[in-house]
Amino acid sequence: MSARTQSAPSVRAALYEAPGPRTKRLIAVGTVLSALVVAALVAAVVRQFYVTGQLAPRYWSFLLEWPTWRFLLQGFVGTVEVALTAGAIALVLGLALMLGRTSGPRPVSAACRLVTDFFRGVPSLLLIYFFFLVVPQYGIRMPAFWMLTLPVALAASGVLAEVFRAGVNAVPKGQVEAAYSIGLSRWKTMRLIVLPQAVRYVIPSLIAQLVVVVKDTTVAYVVSYPDLMQNARVLITNYDALLSMYLVVSVVYVLINFAINKASVYVAHRTGVKIIR
Amino acid sequence: MGLGELLGTYGQNYLDGLLATWSMTAVSFVFVMVLAVLVTVARVSPVAPLRGLGELYVQVFRNIPGVALLILVAYALPQLRLVLPWRTCVIVTVVLLGSAFGSENFMSGINTIGAGQIEAARSIGLTFTQILRHIVIPQALRTTVLPMTNLLIAVMLTTALGSQVPMTPQELTGVVSYVNTRATGGILAFLVSALGYVLTAFVISLVGNRLDKRVRILR
Repeated sequence: MSARTQSAPSVRAALYEAPGPRTKRLIAVGTVLSALVVAALVAAVVRQFYVTGQLAPRYWSFLLEWPTWRFLLQGFVGTVEVALTAGAIALVLGLALMLGRTSGPRPVSAACRLVTDFFRGVPSLLLIYFFFLVVPQYGIRMPAFWMLTLPVALAASGVLAEVFRAGVNAVPKGQVEAAYSIGLSRWKTMRLIVLPQAVRYVIPSLIAQLVVVVKDTTVAYVVSYPDLMQNARVLITNYDALLSMYLVVSVVYVLINFAINKASVYVAHRTGVKIIR
Repeated sequence: MGLGELLGTYGQNYLDGLLATWSMTAVSFVFVMVLAVLVTVARVSPVAPLRGLGELYVQVFRNIPGVALLILVAYALPQLRLVLPWRTCVIVTVVLLGSAFGSENFMSGINTIGAGQIEAARSIGLTFTQILRHIVIPQALRTTVLPMTNLLIAVMLTTALGSQVPMTPQELTGVVSYVNTRATGGILAFLVSALGYVLTAFVISLVGNRLDKRVRILR
């Protein structure tokens, strides 16, 4: 949802005049006051941890041991496997849906549009329950990996189809007209002229979408697939340390997704394209 | 199980689920907007600690998985002697997540205005509040109609997190798991809920697009 490609004269900077002495004093007072409020908030939280006994070493010491992190790392590998597989499937499916919608015959186009809107308009949790509860009713047995990967992939494919479509729309119309006028067919125009450019436009957005995929994989515990979150839950029952473990795992997830977002912004900056979400 | 039988037995559950999803979406979105405005104000303020806090808020809640946050709110906070009702837990989670994205929308809305306009406004003698009231806020609001429409849909989809806690009444996703653990509802049990979401999203985006066409600023 953000589109920061160039940070030239920022609006935030332009909003304020160069402060005079009075304003400088006001800002200084505000800075000190708000710093105090923030510090008080942090202190209140730490105090609540202390009062409820959550700072006791038994809740945190296991985090200093290698086996804990080895087990979490195994979970992380599981998360990566699901995220990358789901991402790859969504990439192919999203591209197919977009191509079907933009250059297929009318019934195909309508169907692709319907499918895209459906997967975009349904929560991924509902899709996971579909694969977990509904599919087995038809006698199809699936390993936990696929019960998680397929719904995550389907949910992402709807979004990616729209991302690809935005990329295709960003290619100047004149190029398409030029391609038609030298006698290229619709399909050839798409394949040779439009797609190579469109894909380049959307690479940062595709990277950013990986965040959504990683987030979706955290419900792996529904299907008992050993991902980072599920392994953390196992550790919680072992060590009886709910708060500390969940807090640490949440921070790990935030850092992973933050890194992915940064990578996306970096690529966007390098290639000078906007991030479409 | 046919559609008639399914709706005959569980119709009331689905209806309650739809209403629960709608009401949670509406309540959450109001708080999302209020909090998003506050966070955005903090992020553009000249006070450094506030700016830092705003940025941290957005980075944390943009990147944390919804389930992880819900678990923290619903199961970890009670360890700090802060127990909220299940429904409130879900709404708090959705609001925290949504407001981070809402603030991002507002920020990009502000950033599309361009520093030149603000400089021009200042050079004709408008004060800071006048610049905000006449230049920044109207334009920022008008350019964020479409992103906020998408956010409203995202908020609705995020309320599906409610299926992860024992809430009564359940929302649409919870109903599917409820029905399917009691009977073999088959694909229909899933489709009824899915349609509830898809049709609502369709109506929201229809209204959003209409509104956007009316207020959009052509650049």
